[in-house]
Amino acid sequence: MKAFEYVGASSADQAVKAMSAGAVVMSGGTDLMNRMKDYVTSPSRVVNLNDAKDLAGISGDAASGVTILAGTRLADVLASDVIKKAYPALWQTTSEVGTPQIRNMASVGGNLMQHPRCWYYRSGFGLIPKSADGKHMLREGDNRYAAIFMTDGDALYAHPSSLAIPLIALGAKATLVGPDGERTVALSELYKVPTSSEDSPFMAKAGEILKSISIPAAAGKNGSYEARHKQAHDWPLVLASVNLTMSGDTVSDATVVVYGVAPVPWRSKAAEEAIKGKAVTIETAKAAGSAAAEGAKPLSMNGYKVSLLKTVVARALCVTVGNRYWEA
Amino acid sequence: MLYSLHAHAKIKSLDSSAAEKMPGVKAIEVIAGPGKTVRYHGDDIAVIVAETEEQARDASQAIKIEYEHLPHAATETQAMAENAPKIVNGGNVRKGRAQTTGNPDDGLQKADAVVEGTYFAPVITHVCLEPHGLTARWDDKNHITAWASTQSVMATANELAESNELPVTNVTVLTEVMGGGFGSKFGADIWGTTAARISKKVGGRPVKIFLDRAQEHLAGGNRPSVLAKVKIGGTKDGKITGMIAETYGTGGVARGAQFPLPYVYSLANYKREHADVFVNGGNARAMRAPGHPQGCLVMESAIDDLAAKLGVDPIAIRKSNLAPNDFRTPIYLNEMEIGAELIGWKQNYKPRGSQKGVVRRGMGLALHQWGGGGANDKQVSCTIFADGTIELKSATQDIGTAIRTVLAMIAAEVFGLKPTDIKSNIGNSTFPPGQSSGGSTTTPSMSPPCYNACLEARDEFFKKIAPGLPGNPAATDLSLVDGQLLVKGQATMSFKDACRKIGMNPISVVGKSSQGLASNGVAGVQFVDLSVDTETGVVKLHKIVAVQDSGLIIDKLTWESQVFGGVIGGLNYGLFEERVVDPISGRMLNPDMELYQLAGASDIPEIICHAYEPDDQKKRGVIGIGEPPTIGTAAAIGNAVANAIGVRVPTFPMTPMNILNALAKEGKA
Repeated sequence: MKAFEYVGASSADQAVKAMSAGAVVMSGGTDLMNRMKDYVTSPSRVVNLNDAKDLAGISGDAASGVTILAGTRLADVLASDVIKKAYPALWQTTSEVGTPQIRNMASVGGNLMQHPRCWYYRSGFGLIPKSADGKHMLREGDNRYAAIFMTDGDALYAHPSSLAIPLIALGAKATLVGPDGERTVALSELYKVPTSSEDSPFMAKAGEILKSISIPAAAGKNGSYEARHKQAHDWPLVLASVNLTMSGDTVSDATVVVYGVAPVPWRSKAAEEAIKGKAVTIETAKAAGSAAAEGAKPLSMNGYKVSLLKTVVARALCVTVGNRYWEA
Repeated sequence: MLYSLHAHAKIKSLDSSAAEKMPGVKAIEVIAGPGKTVRYHGDDIAVIVAETEEQARDASQAIKIEYEHLPHAATETQAMAENAPKIVNGGNVRKGRAQTTGNPDDGLQKADAVVEGTYFAPVITHVCLEPHGLTARWDDKNHITAWASTQSVMATANELAESNELPVTNVTVLTEVMGGGFGSKFGADIWGTTAARISKKVGGRPVKIFLDRAQEHLAGGNRPSVLAKVKIGGTKDGKITGMIAETYGTGGVARGAQFPLPYVYSLANYKREHADVFVNGGNARAMRAPGHPQGCLVMESAIDDLAAKLGVDPIAIRKSNLAPNDFRTPIYLNEMEIGAELIGWKQNYKPRGSQKGVVRRGMGLALHQWGGGGANDKQVSCTIFADGTIELKSATQDIGTAIRTVLAMIAAEVFGLKPTDIKSNIGNSTFPPGQSSGGSTTTPSMSPPCYNACLEARDEFFKKIAPGLPGNPAATDLSLVDGQLLVKGQATMSFKDACRKIGMNPISVVGKSSQGLASNGVAGVQFVDLSVDTETGVVKLHKIVAVQDSGLIIDKLTWESQVFGGVIGGLNYGLFEERVVDPISGRMLNPDMELYQLAGASDIPEIICHAYEPDDQKKRGVIGIGEPPTIGTAAAIGNAVANAIGVRVPTFPMTPMNILNALAKEGKA
């Protein structure tokens, strides 16, 4: 790990003041520390947010919406009754992140702002890994975990944040604070597709830090389903969260967001359209799953993700209405 | 350690001057300097010694190396390609001579059904929880003490002595405890000998060197891959009539990918050709039952596929093909019966492909075998002191099979004491010659000399104290029970008090091995019950049954611990482990504990260890247990998956990707 300056910030304000060119914030640190130890990220300054009291906590209720400050530990999200009851999509996904140790340390903001797990990136080849002779390493190499959408572009890794999936499905907004004050954007707008390895995968401006996430009032039903290889500590292969507005048994509006298939949290409008106006049954859910796969262009090794995507979207819809057909 | 990030390159220049000046740096020793070729990602370049690990790591980054890149062949596919760069003299693919028995073509002609299968399992790495390494200290200008994580204190002492030009008597290697070896830790290794050299250079200060997790994956050893193309045929009664197998495997830039095939079963007609494939990858090292898991996986997959095609029950086909005159045959037959009962075969087994539904249950089994006999030239000393202390000494070490406990239990039984009363000292290269811990040989090598040492020491003790006892009993009148000295069956005094009569000179005996106390050769059967989600390809293990013979079991608790560990290692091979190598850079992409997958607690099902130990097994004496219980697990998992989904998944491990791909290929996804 390269030597760096250290600033322990006790408030968001202090943190913003401490930000300088080449500085990074540490919130939790379960991703950042590994990148620093592996020389993947070598910041000149680390601003530690872990002791910033005004960056941790959950407030609000199901009727008016909930605000989660960015430094809130995942374990505290799981301990929240409001989230468990009103936002099961978020609760379920949070419960499946990492290990108890990681959930005790990792923060919501840290999860949302983590860097891709792409093994080429973690090996030091950058977000868009190119070999000396110009080959795109992820396109031509081992891409079993890579994206199946947006693969005409150069960013082929799968977006790493599990929590972004239910939060975007729930319509969450992100509040950033920086030298020019606060601004609030849709959480989905926090992310972008980098065009080079030097480019950032985030829309945050220099010196801005993530302050909070606000989730609108709970209406309708929401749920998540993830497929993963291991039961213990593992990343999802594909994860889907859905948020349904119901009119009786019929879906009047739907948001479907998927992990593991694109370099950003992937909103599947096709799946949303497919389920709208219908009751969620195994058949309609599977049809929505198939719709979600429309336009997927898998790489050489990850065709299996197309069938996983279909299943995971269908199951997320089913879970949301209390149907776990595969366990029958 | 600074190691190569390149799969194949010549070092043109190496400049460590900046690194040498970095904070905390004490010494830098170059292993591969200019002109040398590095042949895999992880190949050793230099050892950096600093006050802290972090300083050493930072300094390693400051060493400037100019490489001349050489073309690499880092995967089997690359190495076997027509225009592959030659990475070793003599060609990348080294074919052995074909083994032929009977007439395999004829045999296949006579078959009622023939199946052709391709089975593949990737290289898996060693992943000992404690990495490779040691701490070496020059005590004075003629002596080294080293604290090593090793399966052989004696071999490590020899290596350190030779590389430092000292008589071996001047080197002491200590291994009090170790965090796993599995076959990968027999010597000091280049990093160990280098650390010892550096200790001398820095005035004798102890130098501690351990590989980090990444290099542990890259250079700490691995199990070779296996690719097998098999054609096997049999008759309706379940008899195999012929098999033709073409197999490959890679052990890195060295040989070592050979494995036994045919395996377990007796085949009248077969032909087998094997080739070792050389790749720019870290070298194989013996890994828990070297060769056997691969042979088992290929044989057991093939015989299971044949059974499915013939419509023969998987247990029945195995019974029909065991060697008629082999001592293992009746053991297998009994073990299969016990295992079938414990897994609930009768109630729950359904023929392959007969299941409907999204999540399908499957059952499978596999048979395996191992040697596990000991060496007969090892020694244990037993000393009885006047204060009642009993000390055992031997230059063996505990790889995890609890040899320290086993020796103490043997002594305790002889002396009528508790194991906790015995000082069982091992892990010191200066003690009487002990067994290197490999091949499941430690317990069968060390138990007989321990037993003999204890018996002789006890008899000498009796002889010495008998004349001074009231009533002047004969030595043969004495016995030891529950901490008491008995004379003609009557308790007369405590063992401790009796020892006071020894006087100044302790009684010390060096015991050797003798015939009849240990034996060689085990069978073993494992059953697996699992479910496969056919829509996600996710496998959930429900239960694994391991029925295992191993002669006389000395300590059931540590025996079971070996079987549990073996099964867990085996299920990792079956479900999770894979060294993923990037064909473009030639680098391993998952040298970590995150994307190199290993079971966590919730991935491990109920495991039933059944010790097969009827009286005729007890009479065989001690046989090692480390290896056998890891052999069959992966094969049984593969068979259970095929049983559940009706399709053979040809590629291990059983990941969602491999399972969904197999289903898609058969049009069933």
